[in-house]
Amino acid sequence: MSRALQKYLDQVMLYANRKEKEAVKIRAELEDHLRQKTADLAAQGLPREDAVFQAIEDHGTARTVGYSLRKGFVLLDVRTEGTARGFIAIGPRAVGIIAFGNVAVGLFAFGNFAFGVLAFGVLAIAGLVSLGGISLAPLGAAVGLAAVGRTAFGMIACGGLAIGLRVPWAIDGVSFLSGENGLQFLQHFRTYEGTVALIAITLWLFLIFPIMNGIMCSLKKDEYRRIEKADPKLIE
Amino acid sequence: MTRLSKQTLDGNVETLILAVLEAGPSYGYAIVKELNERAEGILQLGEGTIYPVLHRLQDKKLIAARWRLAENGRQRKYYRLINNGRKALAANRHQWQMLSAVMGKVMGSAENLLPKPQVKGATI
Repeated sequence: MSRALQKYLDQVMLYANRKEKEAVKIRAELEDHLRQKTADLAAQGLPREDAVFQAIEDHGTARTVGYSLRKGFVLLDVRTEGTARGFIAIGPRAVGIIAFGNVAVGLFAFGNFAFGVLAFGVLAIAGLVSLGGISLAPLGAAVGLAAVGRTAFGMIACGGLAIGLRVPWAIDGVSFLSGENGLQFLQHFRTYEGTVALIAITLWLFLIFPIMNGIMCSLKKDEYRRIEKADPKLIE
Repeated sequence: MTRLSKQTLDGNVETLILAVLEAGPSYGYAIVKELNERAEGILQLGEGTIYPVLHRLQDKKLIAARWRLAENGRQRKYYRLINNGRKALAANRHQWQMLSAVMGKVMGSAENLLPKPQVKGATI
């Protein structure tokens, strides 16, 4: 079999990242396709070498084909291109329980644009806790330069209980905290102990972010190393 | 000729494959060839991207697969339509026909996009 075909299949399977047993079968299927395509093109009069390259080109780039052959939702999905999907998903775009990417959607989302129950990012939108440059948590706590949430901390803070340098709208704390709206527990944070607890939570959030960031970057680096080890040209 | 965009095609490739397999068991390369022939150049799939779709259809139990010895002496994976697949194809075909009819009525017919059959020696 042509070395070019062999190398192409190596790369596809590298990106596909399947278990060995599955990989053998998938590879055999792709190999059969490429061999037959090459034979057909050669029969049409194309020189053998050109036929091989044409077959590879028509098949698609190794990365696109390889990633598309990954399992739907895996424990750990790290990608250098496209959308990663997994329990832990790391990629330019990531969807998972723990998602890390330029755009991240997940229970715990870390990224430039992060959307989740807990979101950390330049723009973080979360159901419960958001931490970021612009931080929105309509139902929970938001910490950021600009924070909007039921509890909000930031240079500009707006919410039920808002602590900030500037509160563009009147602190709704009083109105939020009054009446039977289920938010009375927030009154606790208005006491001295409550404020200390709140600061502790904030510090913890600021601490967890670099830790998670470190773990995710390390996993991403491992994936790059794995690909680079197999073929340095694949990492630009 | 303008080709179909990925967005337009997304979600419909499964149905197209089921339609090809309706004619009988086939394998990856032959399915791609058949699709391209039937689509007369409008559809241009990255050939390798058909396999995840085939595997997904297999996972959904719409098609079944079996390795058999091919004429070239190598093992080859053949796919065939099974009952669930036939039902899904019928449902999708019905949906498509309705959508096609609506789009045709609102947007105009698509017949002018298809290549005209060559009639040799035709005179006016």
